[in-house]
Amino acid sequence: MSRVANSGWGRPKTPEQVEERIVVGQDGTVWARSGKVEYGQDIRAGFARIVAREMELPVARVQVELGETDRVPWDMGTYGSMSTATDGASLRAAAAYAMALLKERASVRFSVPVPDLAVQDGRIAASDGRSVCYEQLVESGPLEGTVPSGAALEFASGAIDGGSFRVEAADIVTGRTRFPHDVRVPGMLRGHVQHPPVAGMHLDSFDSQTPYAQEGVVQVVHQGDFIGVLARRREQAVSAAQALDPHWSAAPSNPAEPLDVTLHDDPDISQELAAAAEHLTSTYHVPHIAHASILPSAAVADVRPDGADLYVATQRPFGLRDEAAAIVGLRPEQVHVHPQHMSGMYGGGGWDQAALDAVRLSHAGQCPVLVEWTRAEEFALSAHRPVLDAQIAAGLSEDGQIVAWQYHCRTNPHIYGTAAVPPQAVAMTSGRNAIPPYALAHAEILLHVEPGDIRTSAFRSLAAAPNVFVIESFMDELAAMSGQDPIAFRLRHTDDPRLKTVLELVRERSGWNRSPREAGHGMGVACAVYHGTYIAEVARVFVAADGTPHLEQVYAAVDAGRLVHPDGARNQIEGGVQQAASWTLLEETRVEAGRVVTTNWKTYPIATFPDAPEGIDVAFVASDKPSTGIGEPGSVPVAAAVANAVFAASGARVRQLPLRPAFIQKARAQA
Amino acid sequence: MRYRLDVNGEMREADVPASTTLLDVLREDFGLTGSHLGCGHGACGACYVLVDSEPAASCTMSVEEAEGRHIVTVEGLAPAGSLHPVQQAFVDGDAMQCGACTTGMVISTVSLLMKNPHPAEGEILDAMSPHLCRCGAYGRVVKAVQSVRGVAL
Ligand code: FES
Ligand code: FES
Repeated sequence: MSRVANSGWGRPKTPEQVEERIVVGQDGTVWARSGKVEYGQDIRAGFARIVAREMELPVARVQVELGETDRVPWDMGTYGSMSTATDGASLRAAAAYAMALLKERASVRFSVPVPDLAVQDGRIAASDGRSVCYEQLVESGPLEGTVPSGAALEFASGAIDGGSFRVEAADIVTGRTRFPHDVRVPGMLRGHVQHPPVAGMHLDSFDSQTPYAQEGVVQVVHQGDFIGVLARRREQAVSAAQALDPHWSAAPSNPAEPLDVTLHDDPDISQELAAAAEHLTSTYHVPHIAHASILPSAAVADVRPDGADLYVATQRPFGLRDEAAAIVGLRPEQVHVHPQHMSGMYGGGGWDQAALDAVRLSHAGQCPVLVEWTRAEEFALSAHRPVLDAQIAAGLSEDGQIVAWQYHCRTNPHIYGTAAVPPQAVAMTSGRNAIPPYALAHAEILLHVEPGDIRTSAFRSLAAAPNVFVIESFMDELAAMSGQDPIAFRLRHTDDPRLKTVLELVRERSGWNRSPREAGHGMGVACAVYHGTYIAEVARVFVAADGTPHLEQVYAAVDAGRLVHPDGARNQIEGGVQQAASWTLLEETRVEAGRVVTTNWKTYPIATFPDAPEGIDVAFVASDKPSTGIGEPGSVPVAAAVANAVFAASGARVRQLPLRPAFIQKARAQA
Repeated sequence: MRYRLDVNGEMREADVPASTTLLDVLREDFGLTGSHLGCGHGACGACYVLVDSEPAASCTMSVEEAEGRHIVTVEGLAPAGSLHPVQQAFVDGDAMQCGACTTGMVISTVSLLMKNPHPAEGEILDAMSPHLCRCGAYGRVVKAVQSVRGVAL
């Protein structure tokens, strides 16, 4: 595989200091600090609730600081629906420890043993009525110490109370929220860079004079293959960058360095397949899709000789800090990253190219610079979801049990960076959810990863959504071939009670067995276990005579452990379903000669209001198990559920996304 | 060129080239960054403002065209520190995730409800159809709009 990595991959987790996580302010505000960032998943409210619960405070007393590199503990980045599961757990431990320290101090102050103290609303009280608030307990000095491991801590139990809404909501609806595009720094210029259409091309020539003839242009910046302009206004910078009229040398031919990873080996697989009573083999294809954030990338950089401030929307503040420092020759701690509100990036926010543009231009121009990419640049230059091509085969016993399973998939890298990635990391990213959640007597699962024809990157759930589309469509094919009910077929292949529960719950909610079959209508099911979250979905579709599919309703049953923020979790699942419905029915990045040609909303349509299903029904399984992620799982089973519903509605088995009417008509004709 | 614009009930001046868009004037010259530049060609709804009470893409309207019209941006819907009933409905229903699309949707909702206080679901979808939401908040937005039906605006 080519050079793909994540700086900080596998960094060991050292014990944390409570003072890095939890600070009790003089006014009684409790500051909770995390290196994670907010990008629509509402982790700020989730973290506030976790800390409030442990410290027995009203949620409003907790202030969450996210991603400010000078103030929060180091973090590898906000990926993989892991914020609540990992950083939430760290914050919970730090908060529990902070509470223990506060109680110790109160115990000394009142000469009362800790077990005899009561805590409520930010005060610790002795039974004789004396009480003290947290801020008084830190007058003698801040809380300090190494957070013990979870086993040594006492946690608050029970549900986390609701009531608080998205912290940023009022700012969002009034337009006060600051995205990087909205940051204004005194003396700031606007910058725009001309990037080569294909990464790695060299600059042959460009026009360094014409831009200066344009109004507002301050400086043309040229360093090696990097060219850009500084101007007074945004539109002037865009137009001057065009006037640079660069000529690029032919794209370098990057020798492909493919990587093969065996996810599950079975030396007997060929025999077992051959010996099975019934067989099926299919091939599937999933195209590139675009993250298609509503706001194109933007960033402000203010690079000075002795330090730099970056106002950015990034999923990895520390990675960006280190990269920026290296470019301008500063030490990492001289670079201060200030995360701004982020237009949803869905995993694509680790590329940070606009931020690096701004860093270079600010360094060259010695002034603060705001860079805003155009919509076309956002589509053309950012990384896209990898392609997946899969060949899948299975053998069934006479009574319809899977006895052999073979899955060979080819895809592209889902992570990027500068150093080599260990094969386990590839298995966890490009191989995510390639192993089905079923009991299979024999299985061979092989992964082949090679660089794509365009740059590829992580996208919500990484390879899980493409893999689950293939696996769960194929499960449906096997059920149909052997005349079994698709839900019953899945249930007979798992012993996992949590997977069974979500399948049974979605069967119940969707009226799976009860709804009469109407011509053109159908229901499809799919399920997945994604990073510890169990999810089953049923889609109901109508397929028109001309092959146009209409998604009418989606039912999701989810077990994500203990819910920290139930309405936020519901919103995330709904959004994941809606976005994945758009991928499934409409989206495909088209590439010609190594260049993305779908560079606007006409050639790259996404779902709009009229395309949205009438309803997305989300049911959570009540649980006291550890919290798992909810940002990604909702999106994972959607494509298969919809494709299976299309099959139920029309008899058309479509093994390629998006589910275009033409593909449906063709498959229907073959059925 | 000097232009005088009526924005949020105030007359404001901008000295910009004639080709400048209303959106750039709002964002760059007046500091009203609640209208967002999502596409610049009228295809996403992120930049919508009210022009004489009608929702319009400010990214494709020139400053010249905007002169003499009554412009309201999302910042001008309610006095500072308070929320317009439509804004309140979006907050109450958590009808957003990242919020990049939200201000434009609020604008279109206000205009719809001014003209038609009891829109049917189809009319809501029609009115909102210029707006893209990548986070997939469509269902919640429709519910938020329905929740303000009939409220005097
Ligand atoms: S920015 Fe105006 S419609 Fe997209
Ligand atoms: S809330 Fe993110 S684009 Fe709509």
